Amino acid sequence: MNAAAPPDDTLIRIRGLTTVLNGKKVFDALDLDIPRGKVTAIMGPSGTGKTTLLKHITGQMHGDAGQILVDGQNVPELSREALYALREKIGYLFQNSALLTDFDVFENVAFPLRQHTKLPEVLIRNLVLTKLQAVGLRGAAGLMPSELSGGMARRVALARAIVFDPMLILYDEPFVGLDPIALNQVLKLIRTLNETLGITSVLVAHELDAIKQVADHIFLIANGKVVAQGDPRTIADDGSPWTRQFFGGEADGPVPFQYPAGDYAEALGFPRRGA
Amino acid sequence: MSQRKSYAVGTGLFIVLGFAALAYLATQTSSVANRQQGASYTVDAQFENIGQLKERAPVKIAGVRVGQVQAIALEPGKSVADVKLAIDKRYADIPADSVATIFTSGLLGDQYVGIEYGHSKDHVADGGKLALTRSSEPLEEMLGKFFGAGGAADNIGGSYMVTARFSNVGSLSAGSPVKMAGVPIGQVLSVQAEPAKLDALVTLAIDNRYNQIPDDSAAAVFTSGLIGSQYVAIQPGGSPDMLKNGDEMILTQSAMQLEDLIGKFLVNGSGSSDGKQGANPPTSPAGKH
Amino acid sequence: MNARIERDNIVTQALGQIGNCGVFLLQILAAIPRSLRYGRETVRQLWFVGAMSLIIIMTCGLFVGMVLELQLYHVLSMFGSTSMSGTVVAIATYRELGPVVTALLFAGRAGTAITAEIGLMRATDQISAMELMAVDPLAYVAAPRFLAGLVAMPLLCCVFCALAVFGGHLVGVSWLGIDNGTFWSNMTATVDVWQDIVSGVVWKSLAFGAVVALIAVFQGYTAPPTSEGVAYATTRTVVASSIAILALDFVLTAFLM
Repeated sequence: MNAAAPPDDTLIRIRGLTTVLNGKKVFDALDLDIPRGKVTAIMGPSGTGKTTLLKHITGQMHGDAGQILVDGQNVPELSREALYALREKIGYLFQNSALLTDFDVFENVAFPLRQHTKLPEVLIRNLVLTKLQAVGLRGAAGLMPSELSGGMARRVALARAIVFDPMLILYDEPFVGLDPIALNQVLKLIRTLNETLGITSVLVAHELDAIKQVADHIFLIANGKVVAQGDPRTIADDGSPWTRQFFGGEADGPVPFQYPAGDYAEALGFPRRGA
Repeated sequence: MSQRKSYAVGTGLFIVLGFAALAYLATQTSSVANRQQGASYTVDAQFENIGQLKERAPVKIAGVRVGQVQAIALEPGKSVADVKLAIDKRYADIPADSVATIFTSGLLGDQYVGIEYGHSKDHVADGGKLALTRSSEPLEEMLGKFFGAGGAADNIGGSYMVTARFSNVGSLSAGSPVKMAGVPIGQVLSVQAEPAKLDALVTLAIDNRYNQIPDDSAAAVFTSGLIGSQYVAIQPGGSPDMLKNGDEMILTQSAMQLEDLIGKFLVNGSGSSDGKQGANPPTSPAGKH
Repeated sequence: MNARIERDNIVTQALGQIGNCGVFLLQILAAIPRSLRYGRETVRQLWFVGAMSLIIIMTCGLFVGMVLELQLYHVLSMFGSTSMSGTVVAIATYRELGPVVTALLFAGRAGTAITAEIGLMRATDQISAMELMAVDPLAYVAAPRFLAGLVAMPLLCCVFCALAVFGGHLVGVSWLGIDNGTFWSNMTATVDVWQDIVSGVVWKSLAFGAVVALIAVFQGYTAPPTSEGVAYATTRTVVASSIAILALDFVLTAFLM
């Protein structure tokens, strides 16, 4: 753990986060530090609470114990107003884009501006078109969300997430369901945004190859804890059974393939051996 | 943005339409249409009995609405109701000796104040008084007068019991009056079904003062008025022996249903007119309404 | 979790729903001051909820008035008082049929639309997206729809009643030959503006509007974010609204009249 790192280098500092959902321990005293200005990937087997972790960072969910410091503020203790003020500085890209179906592309991107600023119409127009140009969809400004493909919708959502020039963008499964061309476009966008604007990015994803191209740092989460972390090129070599199974894609290992169940032979009605 | 504007215009139109509908309901279909007819002046009238008269009931002259009842109060210290009438300024020439009467619209309608013009040269002024009034006549009294029925006998202390059987008692019940020549002489003590004989056994309690009733008298179930309650009427017979406690009256006449009565009436009416003046067209309106 | 819900009996579930609904009402009321800055959104919802329901409300109002008049004419002709039929149409509509039928239609037309829309917004993460864009969905989504329902219902009810009287006039005067003057003078002599129009049309429909809008928004807001959950919530909006409208109608009638 790089707990000793100076606070300026750490944008999100999670300490001792413990969350119990439906009797299952999702996080068990989780410690995590996300560096400022870098692209950080959070990986892990399905169902380990990666999206839940993002929801904790944005204050949509609260853990049972622990601290989540975002830019020095402890999220679980923030008042509504302070939380909303913090959220204005965070962009969030949903897995399914979550565009507002009532509005066209332009209005979707303009939505945060209209809600939080009283900018003149000309300025809003320029800002929105700039962001749409950045994701390559300036020509689609007049389309409705229902007319967009999945990749286009995700790029519009990205334009909306960055319209306020946030300090942090959280990507929830940004690569799911994209064809190789769209995937590369999104990868390039994430990289460009990080390099040109210095935006801290946190990615939650499964796609190892894609993440290797874009991430500076990877956390591997399993059983409610960070089980491995490091550079994308070296993390697979740390020798722990978790990384071997996860990055090697093996069925056997610490992560069981079978959901907990009773005895197989008994379930099929065969007499138990030795009985 | 033009989209937004069209929502705003459409919504505005919708709101205007809604309020126009409300204004239409309130002013065109309700009593406001009658009430707000300009300035009015107030006239007092005192009645001994106002019956069912209510505030805002109409005031009419020759059937035309000229105002409404503004307030009803009991005159202090007197058993007299003081009714304030708000009359439209347009009808300012009501003679001072006019008569205010409480009428009922139809048999079952609401009550209203009718003003019949007098002959005086003087007119009633604002705050003035109509001295001549005629009170509300309760329907019961009117019917009572008309049919000669009074209240039930009040003392059942000394009375004797007789029974009578009816094949149909209508809506007769315990407590209904027993009358002879229209005068209450007792009351019904009980009404019991006699399944064995397919009829109703009615026990009558008759005041001891009326112990001179011949034992061949007939008992009949009658109805006071068109829609009144039912009572037992005793029609004296000619026997020298008198009814005693525990006797049974042999001659009875059961309750006549209103439908039967009207049916008989209509049949008789049309029958006789047909018989006497055959020229009547068959589409005579006798039974139309 | 599902197993527990199944084990709860229907009474406990209903009471729980009512309790949650009450809490939700408080949340919406608390969000109304914050929603004032989204006035445009309220206007837009008023358009969808109110103006778009006008056609069905007007058609039904017209036919309810016509059929009432027709029925009353035949019954009242037995007593020779057909000229009172218009009055009865007006009073029956103002006091009961107008608010109740409008509210039932409103629940079917606008309530289901609100539930389905909010449910889908939740299922497609639009509600979460708003929260993350620092826009309070209670103030931006729930409160404007609630307010729109509250404002739209009395207006729709007035239109319904006006059309019902017009329909009654059409059948009574134009077709059945009741005298035009008697039709109106009986009506104006009997209908009371406070007793019938204000406490009937206005108060009742305001109360029904609040109840239907609350139930619709609540069901949408708490619908499980699946297609099945949204479909079920939409059905529940109609069922719960209908029961609530008729029960509340009884209570209001007992208190107001």
